[in-house]
Amino acid sequence: MAVLETQELSISFGGLQALRDFSIQVNEWEIVGLIGPNGAGKTTAFNCITGFYKPDRGQVMHRGRDVTSLAPHQRVAVGFGRTFQNVGMVKTATALENLRTAQHIHAEYSAVAGILGSPESATTDRGLTERGEQLLDFLGLSAIRDTPVGSLPYGQMKLLELGCALATDPDILLLDEPSSGMGPEEAADLGRRLLTLRDEVGLTMLLIEHHVPLVTEVCDYVYVLNFGSLLTEGEPAAIQRHPAVIEAYLGSRHGRADS
Amino acid sequence: MATSAATIDSRLTAPGVAARGGAWVALAAGVLAAGLFNSDTAAYAITAAIYVLIGLSLNVILGYIGQMSLGHQGLMGSGALFAAYLSTAHGLPFAVDLVVAGVAGGVVAVLVGVVALRVRGLYLALVTLVVGITLQTSLFEVPSLTGGGAGEPANRPTLLLSNDRFYLVCVAVVIGALYLDTRLTGSKAGRAFLAIKEDERVAAAFGINVVGYKLLAFVLSGILAGVAGGLYAFSSEQFNGNNFSFLLALTFVLMTVVGGAGSRAGVVAGSVLFAVLQTFLANFFLFKDFTQLFPTNLSNNLLQFGPNLVAALLLLITLAVNPRGMAQQIEPVVAWMRGGPYRGADRSHAIREGISGRP
Repeated sequence: MAVLETQELSISFGGLQALRDFSIQVNEWEIVGLIGPNGAGKTTAFNCITGFYKPDRGQVMHRGRDVTSLAPHQRVAVGFGRTFQNVGMVKTATALENLRTAQHIHAEYSAVAGILGSPESATTDRGLTERGEQLLDFLGLSAIRDTPVGSLPYGQMKLLELGCALATDPDILLLDEPSSGMGPEEAADLGRRLLTLRDEVGLTMLLIEHHVPLVTEVCDYVYVLNFGSLLTEGEPAAIQRHPAVIEAYLGSRHGRADS
Repeated sequence: MATSAATIDSRLTAPGVAARGGAWVALAAGVLAAGLFNSDTAAYAITAAIYVLIGLSLNVILGYIGQMSLGHQGLMGSGALFAAYLSTAHGLPFAVDLVVAGVAGGVVAVLVGVVALRVRGLYLALVTLVVGITLQTSLFEVPSLTGGGAGEPANRPTLLLSNDRFYLVCVAVVIGALYLDTRLTGSKAGRAFLAIKEDERVAAAFGINVVGYKLLAFVLSGILAGVAGGLYAFSSEQFNGNNFSFLLALTFVLMTVVGGAGSRAGVVAGSVLFAVLQTFLANFFLFKDFTQLFPTNLSNNLLQFGPNLVAALLLLITLAVNPRGMAQQIEPVVAWMRGGPYRGADRSHAIREGISGRP
């Protein structure tokens, strides 16, 4: 059974049909890419899947369960972890504090118990700190443990944001342009990390990405979105040579000239 | 402020420990001395303690989740009203009255919060403003609750008749509130509040129930304001609806901003300062007998507006050169007292965060 399946998701803003009959499937242990030119509706699709937008039509299924009506924070509890195109973190807080905040649903004490200072809440918070430090270690970011996130270089921010998404302990990870702001070497490094996460942690991923080498290196399957509709889908190598994809990215005249 | 007392540097030298211990003792002595020597200063000190509670209450909304409330006098007044009513009409004991005052403040805050969840910014400020003024002109005027024009008496229990004893009760409540506030910022609710303040989308992506935690912030703030109102009723030994005007709400917002919204120590300092401004300074102008120095109407105006003028100047200074308020100066001292090294006022922090009071 697919970890994530969308069925004919459609949403329009005013007169603009941002997404039309968007149906994709992400299977266990797969890394699926979602590519397309700017304005194609990739982030809109993400927002529908994670509950930030309410689609006009269609369903979002998680392992066969319809989660379309759930609020964003409820979908985190179901197992949807996400990152944002423009770094979604608490910028004034330190790296470790962000990782602790991101473990909110695993802080298994009531807010009131925490305010009253129950011993259980203190123990739980120590656990969150430990797990946060493990994640920093895994990402090679231990040196910035106590640095406010807002003062980090962009590439490190994106990497830490991935850590925050991991801290929610997701079943499926939705990454919105994880390599933006990274140099080629950092991007290659990120690719290896994503493969490690898939192979060793057993994570399933859906990623929006523009960095072609990264897509071909890590993705098992790719969906191409253009003007809100799915253009084509397939293995990354085949997609790269697909005439419709070349046309969508480079314009029709260029596509003809190349072929 | 997330660090706890447990993080005190073990490498502190003996003089270092002694100096910090001395500072704490001096602070405690100052707090006690303010209320225990003179019945008049004790009255000021009681007002200061009540203002600190209100400051901490407003700080939850203004500082922690970054919303606005211009109706806190309504929350405070609700607490005062129910404390006075229950004590006089039903003869309930002092402690019960205070608890009910907190509940009353919390309930009113939930009602405001339910509306507040749908609006933010300027519109939220307007909603809270309307709620505060409506409470003052409706609930606070119900004769059967408020004893009509004369006000509902709120007699202190015999044990607390003297100002110095009542002051100790106020200090105890403030210490309790400070403890809960420290726990709040150090636990998951505080982290959730900060995430919501900075970006509600990020908070939701971290699995935080944004609506629920906003409501929690309003409830916590309301409970604190209600308790403060209860203490206020007993300190003046009556409830009078006229005391809870919009000007009071404005003063509360001013003292929180000048103190430094978001900083516990800053807000405490700002609240004390404004309490002194409103009571001591007003009487200081009176004591100096300005009538002999200035024409009568000018001196009367000075009496009335003197404290507000100082408050306005402080706000301007805060906005122009001191964006994080008094906290900017106080936080380094507090950090030192908690066992850390002394690092002077760190302005780079404010610059890095891009915080500026300038429009």
